[in-house]
Amino acid sequence: MFLKFNRLWKESPLKSSYDAVIIGGGLHSLAAAYFLASRHNIRDVAVIEKKFIGCGAAGRNTAIVRANQRTQENIPLYKEALDLWPILTKELDFNLMFYNCGNLNLAHSDAAMKAFRMNVATAQFHGVNSQLVDARQCKELVPALDITDRPRFPIFGGMFHPPGGIVRHDAVVWGLARGGAKLGVHIHQGTEVTGIGVKNGKVAWVDTDKGRIQTTKVLNAAGAYSAGIAFKCLGQRLPISVLTIQAMVTQPLKPLLHHVVSSGAYHAYANQTLKGEIATGAHMDPWPNYTNQSTAHYIKHQAEAIGEMLPCLRGVKFMRIWGGLADMTPDMAPILDGNVPVEGYYMDCGWGYFGFKSSTVAGKYMAQYVATGECPEMLKPFRLKRFEEHRLMGETAALVDYTANN
Amino acid sequence: MAFLITCPLCGPRDAYEFRFGGEDKGPRPDPETLSPEAWCDYVHMADSRFGVQKEWWYHRRGCGTWFTIYRDTVKNIEVSSNDREADQ
Repeated sequence: MFLKFNRLWKESPLKSSYDAVIIGGGLHSLAAAYFLASRHNIRDVAVIEKKFIGCGAAGRNTAIVRANQRTQENIPLYKEALDLWPILTKELDFNLMFYNCGNLNLAHSDAAMKAFRMNVATAQFHGVNSQLVDARQCKELVPALDITDRPRFPIFGGMFHPPGGIVRHDAVVWGLARGGAKLGVHIHQGTEVTGIGVKNGKVAWVDTDKGRIQTTKVLNAAGAYSAGIAFKCLGQRLPISVLTIQAMVTQPLKPLLHHVVSSGAYHAYANQTLKGEIATGAHMDPWPNYTNQSTAHYIKHQAEAIGEMLPCLRGVKFMRIWGGLADMTPDMAPILDGNVPVEGYYMDCGWGYFGFKSSTVAGKYMAQYVATGECPEMLKPFRLKRFEEHRLMGETAALVDYTANN
Repeated sequence: MAFLITCPLCGPRDAYEFRFGGEDKGPRPDPETLSPEAWCDYVHMADSRFGVQKEWWYHRRGCGTWFTIYRDTVKNIEVSSNDREADQ
């Protein structure tokens, strides 16, 4: 029981040159570094993190994973991400605690049921298990739900997605960091990228507060900070609004929620962690900023929403609240592109609040992109140019008031 | 994460009374000479800068005025225009 714990990865000195530099020490960066080393034999890679790995959205999300997205471009990506959890658990020899308890999404109107019908059809077409359920089936799945007409938004039915669930987010950070470091990836924490050097339209170096690194390949995967870094280092403007999203947990309770439950009408989702706490969230203050501040305003809203959805939770106390950043694009789909605006510069950003469930698959394909210089088929729809061509993706049925300009 | 915003008519008020109206991108581009790139830049693109930016706000639950302020995105507080010069 009292084993001696060794560090999962070792500290390495910052070298003056690397084959590839990855900005950010979150899941997308660590996954890209791991896949570069394990699949493409590019092991001379530096992951540059300003604070500590997993400090941003990687450790602040509510750990929910699912593949029931809305569009044909997005679903295959998220499906592969879902399929990767058991594979990575084995490959990294690290328990990622993937618990595929299933996600139940509630509909509170006929219009919402219609929207789900299309979602389910698209998901099934792409081989993702997703089903329409009626109100009674919802009650069978989650007995705590109130399916009478008493709540503010009565339950009409739902969309049940059995393969989704929860993954221990910190374990993914540690597992990927250990896996990458074992193969030779250098993880530099407490190091800030201050500039990107460009020579003849190509990436030539990366400046950090600890010194200059010569490199020809840079991947900006700094999550919500990527847009600000792209503007600061390259003057590149992106269709991104960075908003703070909040989440909170209640005091621990006996097991009562065996699935992730979410509702667009209440604007809330909830799942019970393995410790018994009800983790819930979904709210964002609608103005861009780079703080992690939380708000009394939303604790109140969340209590009201959860109390209506799951009346047995009324009176249960919230223990903790925290905020994290989400980089929202106008079409709720990410931007995955390379060699824009300069050769050798790659970006993996704009994930909004879908960044956790997609992290490993994004890392896998971005690693392929960086290694070969050729955009993988899977990533082609996500290029930056789509905004100029007005080919926005329909990840959201109706534009919501998340992006500043809507 | 409430903070105060100074409305030109009502003075400093709680930020939740206002609606964010986007970064200040200057005047709307001239439709005669407009390219898809310039239009995309005006409609979608943002600086997302770390630090002070000029931005639009609308006093939705108040007097209905549209106006600009300077705000520090790292501290999430309103600042004066002098702070913008110092920031850049």
